[in-house]
Amino acid sequence: MMRAAYSRLLFLILLLGLPIAYSAQWLHYPTAGVPRKPDRSPNLTAPAPRLSDGKPDFSGIWHTARLIPCTPDGNKFIDCGTEIGGSPLALDLGTDMPGGLPYQPWAAALVKERKADHGIDDPHVRCLPDNPPRPWVMPHLVKAVHTPRLLVLLYEVNAMYRQIFVDGRPLPADPNPSWNGYSTGKWEGDTLVVQTNGFRDDLWIDMAGSPMSEAATMTERMRRPNYGSLELEITINDPKTYTRPWTVKMTQHIELDTELIDEVCLENEKSYQRLQSIRPKK
Amino acid sequence: MMMRISKICLSLTLFVTAVPALAHHSFAAEFDASKPVKLTGSVTKVEWENPHVWFYIDVKDPSGKTVNWGVEMGSPNGLMRVGWDRKTMKTGDVVTVEGSRAKDDSNNANARVVTLASSGKRLFAASSQGQPGQGQQ
Repeated sequence: MMRAAYSRLLFLILLLGLPIAYSAQWLHYPTAGVPRKPDRSPNLTAPAPRLSDGKPDFSGIWHTARLIPCTPDGNKFIDCGTEIGGSPLALDLGTDMPGGLPYQPWAAALVKERKADHGIDDPHVRCLPDNPPRPWVMPHLVKAVHTPRLLVLLYEVNAMYRQIFVDGRPLPADPNPSWNGYSTGKWEGDTLVVQTNGFRDDLWIDMAGSPMSEAATMTERMRRPNYGSLELEITINDPKTYTRPWTVKMTQHIELDTELIDEVCLENEKSYQRLQSIRPKK
Repeated sequence: MMMRISKICLSLTLFVTAVPALAHHSFAAEFDASKPVKLTGSVTKVEWENPHVWFYIDVKDPSGKTVNWGVEMGSPNGLMRVGWDRKTMKTGDVVTVEGSRAKDDSNNANARVVTLASSGKRLFAASSQGQPGQGQQ
C-alpha cells in the first residue's frame, strides 16, 4: 500500500518535473548551493564545501583561470585576436620557469622541431585524448564529482573522464600504459596528494610538444582554499625526458550556472590532413 | 518586467560564463594573420559540428565569378557560450565575414567577426574580443 502510494507520488513528480527539465537551458542552468553575498551575488571567497567525512569537496565545474594575453608577440600558436585564448600554460608548461622546462637534449631538439611545425602532429589535433596534465590548462571545462573514496573528473573534449581513487589502493606495479595513467590520492590535511603512473610513451603535455615518457610519474597537490578556486601544484618526474623533476602551479576558477556540453572532436575534423599537406619546409 | 529581468539575467550570464574555446589546432599552422579577408556572400551550408563549426558562402570575385569560401569558427559549445546556437545562421543568410585567409591561399578562412546582413548584428565568432580579461590586439 505504502509502496503503491510512493510509486504514484514518484510518477507525479516525474510528470510535473519533466516539462521543466526539458524547457530548461542547461547552458545557463543555475548551480545549486552557491554561497551568496547579501546582494545575492556568488560569494567566491566563502569556505569550500566539505564531504561527509569532513574533507574539502572539490565538486564543481572548473576552468583554467589564466587567459592568453593579447600581445603582438604573444605566441606562435594562437593569435588571440583571431582565436580564443586559454592559459598560457596550455601552450608551454614552462612559461613561468626561467629557461623553460629542463629538457634532456633529445627532448629539447624534438620540441624545437615541433614548434617549427606549429605543433601539427599534436595528438590533440588528431582528436586523440588530452592526457594529464593538459586538461587542467586547456580552455575547456572540467567537472569534478567528488565522493570520500573517489574523485571523478569529467572532460568536455571527447567526453572523456579520469578517476582518482582515494580508497587506499596502491598504484599498479606494472600498469598497461594509458593516456590518463592510474591515479590514487591521499589527504595531507586539506590537501589531496594525487600520484599517477602508467602513462603511455611520447605523450604531449602542451602545445609546444613537450614530451612525457612511460617513465613519468606525476604528483598533483590539490586544495580548495575557498568556494571559488581550486589550486594545483603539479610535479612531473620523468628522468628519461627531463634533467630534473619540475613543478608548475595553477589556479582553476569555478564556473557557475552552466553545464558541460560534449565536444567530440572527430565529428567533423578536417584540419589534420590539410595541415600535413602544408607542413612547413625544413 | 519579467521579460526585461530575464534579458538582463541572460546578458549577465553570457558575460560571466563566456568561456573561450581554444582551437584544436594551432591557428598559425593553418591560417595567416597577415592575410586579412573581408567576404560578403550568401550562406550555402552550415556544419554545426566539432571540433570547429564551418560554414560556406558564395562570394562574387572582382570579375563577377561566384566562388564558394569555407569559413572556420570555434567549437559549438564555445560559440553557444558566447551567444550563438545552431539556428543563428541559416542557409541563404547573407553575411559578412572578417578574418584571416588560409596559409595555402585556398578559399578558406578563419572568422574573427561575422555580421548577419538580415539583422545588421555583429556577432563575434572565434574572437576573444569583448571577453573578460582579454585585451585587443
